[in-house]
Amino acid sequence: MNGTRFLDPHILARIDNLDLLARTVVDGFINGLHRSPYFGLSTDFAEHRQYTPGDDIRRIDWRVFGRTDRFYVKQFEADTNANFSILFDISRSMAYGSNAITKLDYGRYLAACLSYMSRKQRDRVGMVTFDDDVRDFIPTSAKHLDLVLHCIDRIRPGAQGDLTRPLMKVAESISRRSILLLISDLYEEPATIARNLARLRDKGHDVIVFHILDPAEIAFPFEEASQFEDMETGELIPVVPEIQRDEYRHLMAQHLEAISQRLVRDRIDYVLIETSKPLDFALFEYLARREALARVR
Amino acid sequence: MTLLAPLFLAGLLALAVPILIHLTHRERKQPIVFPSLMFLRKVPFRTTRRQRIRNWPLFLLRAAVIILVVAAFARPFVEGAAIGAVDGGTARDVVLILDRSASMGYGDRWTRALDAARAVIDGLGPDDQLTLVAFSDRPELLIRATRDREALHTVIDALRPEAVTTRFAPALRLARDLLDQSDYPHREAVLVTDFQRIGWDGRSDVRLPDGVRVTHVDLSDREPQNLAVTDVLLDRSPEDGGRATVSARIANTGGEPASGVTVELEIDGRVVQTRTAEVDAGTTALVRFGTVAIPAVPTRARVRVAPDRLRTDDAFHFLLRPIPAIPVLLVEQPNAPGTETVYLRRALEIGRDPTFDVRVRRTSRLGNDDLADRAVVVLNDVPFPGGASGRRLVQFVEQGGGLLVILGRRGGTLSAALRDSAGGPTGAPVDRLGDQGGGGGGGGTMSIADYTHPVFQPFSTPRSGDFSAARFFRYRHLTDPPAGRVLARLDDGGAALTETQLGRGTLMLWASGLANVWNDLPLQPVFLPFVHQLIRYLAGFAEPPAWYTAGQVFDLADLDQRAGTELVIEAPSGARSAETVTGESRHIQLREAGFYLIRRLGGPVSDAAAVAVNADPAESDLTPLDPEELLAGFRPLEQTRTMAAAELSQLTPVELERRQRLWWYLLLGGLVILAVESLAAGRASRAAA
Repeated sequence: MNGTRFLDPHILARIDNLDLLARTVVDGFINGLHRSPYFGLSTDFAEHRQYTPGDDIRRIDWRVFGRTDRFYVKQFEADTNANFSILFDISRSMAYGSNAITKLDYGRYLAACLSYMSRKQRDRVGMVTFDDDVRDFIPTSAKHLDLVLHCIDRIRPGAQGDLTRPLMKVAESISRRSILLLISDLYEEPATIARNLARLRDKGHDVIVFHILDPAEIAFPFEEASQFEDMETGELIPVVPEIQRDEYRHLMAQHLEAISQRLVRDRIDYVLIETSKPLDFALFEYLARREALARVR
Repeated sequence: MTLLAPLFLAGLLALAVPILIHLTHRERKQPIVFPSLMFLRKVPFRTTRRQRIRNWPLFLLRAAVIILVVAAFARPFVEGAAIGAVDGGTARDVVLILDRSASMGYGDRWTRALDAARAVIDGLGPDDQLTLVAFSDRPELLIRATRDREALHTVIDALRPEAVTTRFAPALRLARDLLDQSDYPHREAVLVTDFQRIGWDGRSDVRLPDGVRVTHVDLSDREPQNLAVTDVLLDRSPEDGGRATVSARIANTGGEPASGVTVELEIDGRVVQTRTAEVDAGTTALVRFGTVAIPAVPTRARVRVAPDRLRTDDAFHFLLRPIPAIPVLLVEQPNAPGTETVYLRRALEIGRDPTFDVRVRRTSRLGNDDLADRAVVVLNDVPFPGGASGRRLVQFVEQGGGLLVILGRRGGTLSAALRDSAGGPTGAPVDRLGDQGGGGGGGGTMSIADYTHPVFQPFSTPRSGDFSAARFFRYRHLTDPPAGRVLARLDDGGAALTETQLGRGTLMLWASGLANVWNDLPLQPVFLPFVHQLIRYLAGFAEPPAWYTAGQVFDLADLDQRAGTELVIEAPSGARSAETVTGESRHIQLREAGFYLIRRLGGPVSDAAAVAVNADPAESDLTPLDPEELLAGFRPLEQTRTMAAAELSQLTPVELERRQRLWWYLLLGGLVILAVESLAAGRASRAAA
């Protein structure tokens, strides 16, 4: 079976076991990376560097010494043992899906895969779910992968979303420098989003934002006039899509642009992901950010 | 473009339905759940109504369906379009029914008929086919369902009018059958005729199948003038030594009297007598010529008037020929008194048409020479010959001869060979002299058992002969013939006349003598014709007709040619055909007026036997029929239009619309668009969901 098939969200939706899903996706994904330039796993050899006093002599490559009569130490990429925690927005709006998969499910798959991949990279993994408040909190630990996967498995749509309060609690609760990956549809004002994420950044965390949106939320393909119901508030308003489509698209584009600009300015990685895209797109984005983080270190 | 039912255009108001549907933004009953309404604002539905059409392609499809359906119901058609071209390529199956009876030879009718037929052929479309039926008294399928115009023109050019009468019903019935079998969408019957009244009895039940269009070309003339020789009477006079008086009947079927009509009698190509006649309009006149000698051999003769517009009936053709006498052998008792035989002898002596060649033998012994050239033998109250004479007589009958046995006081027995089949007298004579019958004279009466028999058929009509007036005082009691039949009976049930077929001949037994002794029949008026009929019947006499009427058949067996003889038959028009005598009846159709000449192949023309044929006298009556009277019973229950000879293409709007059938294409187009609309609407609905 072609492992890349499991990167399709629609096919992943048929797998109930998140652990199996994560293994399948990540292993297949990594196998596909063997010939790619993304080689950042922690045990991967990167290069030799001339020995300088203070270096751990256990890293001296004696074979090179035997051939060259000089001391060189081996260097490895991303050998971090970092703390990786996922901040998962489970507000009710995340339960929306115009196709077979909802944003919440897409986020669940993504969270499971990233947790598994991080653990495979010897990172400590943790998990925070929230809507208008923190619902589940799993501290980062090398042994918490199963707990994280279990938590992801039982995620259900919560209440109305609000970033401020949960992220403030996260900022207070996670003291160790961590990689924080936020999965959310970000229905907040860009300034609010940026302010709350900046707080985390200021705490020394590396923040990566995966902005999950359904294609219908971007294209707004509706035709018939209808009452539109807000999933979180239950508010009903009459909408004539053909009249408001262009306006909606414009506002949505402005919103996305504002979020992107603000987060980039705050040196927060921001990735917009549509649920119709394969999971490898998100995994690539994540690995690219991790590599950049490792190089920064 | 014109509309047959423009009121249906009101249906275009239905266009308002899709317009309203597409202008009104229908509100979904189920609200659409959406993650966030932060980028949406309230837009009341009513403010958006009638702003613009929503989903233009779907709207246009729906509007097109309505427009096409409404247009179809309005039944549009194109005025002035050519026949066939507006049929949208649909082919026609045309049956052309062309009258070629004798009356079509009147004036220029035949030329006009051919022109009309050619116009129909030339008007055929590339996919049309035509069946050509020519008719007179019977239809003839000349060429069937062809698109080959050359072949049709060739057949048309070869056609000529016949001398035969008109009968519409068989031709129309054939046309009906042809069109009934046709699967073409457009079927048409074109009748080209002069609508002669005598061809239609008004009782035909022929009706074309529905959907068949009937057109006709009326070739009749107003107030036609026609003089015709419709009949010739030959009055033979035996006393005059083989001469005959010729009389001709001249008919004036026109509306104006004809005066000073010259009537000529022509024999063997020479005018021998001329008469002048006055014939009033609508009447006939009998023109009597002087006596003429009847030639020893059949000779062609005709009576003619000056040629007029219908030449077929201007001459009456016939043959002048002697009628051979019937050879009769009358056998009498040698010692019979003259009073006993005088009645029968005198009756046979004064026979006419034919005469009787009577040879009398007063003996009971008959030799081969006595019977050799005789057709009938009459045993007039003599004992049936015994021995070789009796056997010879039986053999004579079995070979085709006729034998009349008159039983009287002497003739009381038959040979044993005859009794088994013909019965015969039994016992002593029955004496009815003492009977007190009607009239006070006593005796019995005779009644005819079978008036359809040729012997009694002339007496079948009222006042044509009364046998009951004769008194029968004495007669032999005849048993009913086992192999024959009783033709007349006496009032006590006894047979008076019996008939038995023996071989190829006929034996008749008469129970009561013909000597004015046992009965007084010889004194009755019926005696003479009765005796003549008896002898004619026994001799198998049939006078050869002096002429035939066109449409009849001629039996080549009448020419007495040997089997296997090849004959050449030359029609009056000069057309020749060959036939072979087979020894059995072989009939040829007589379709032309004039003399048919029949001779052996290779034989001299002078030896040819002539057969005179005349046009059916009914054809001389050119009175036309109202075309509608005929077509009303022929066409399907649809309205059709008279098609004048020169105006084949002028049609009523109803006919034009029916031929074009544009509504059908509009409706089909509407259905196709409706199918496309269903697909598009389904797809749009799924997309909206």
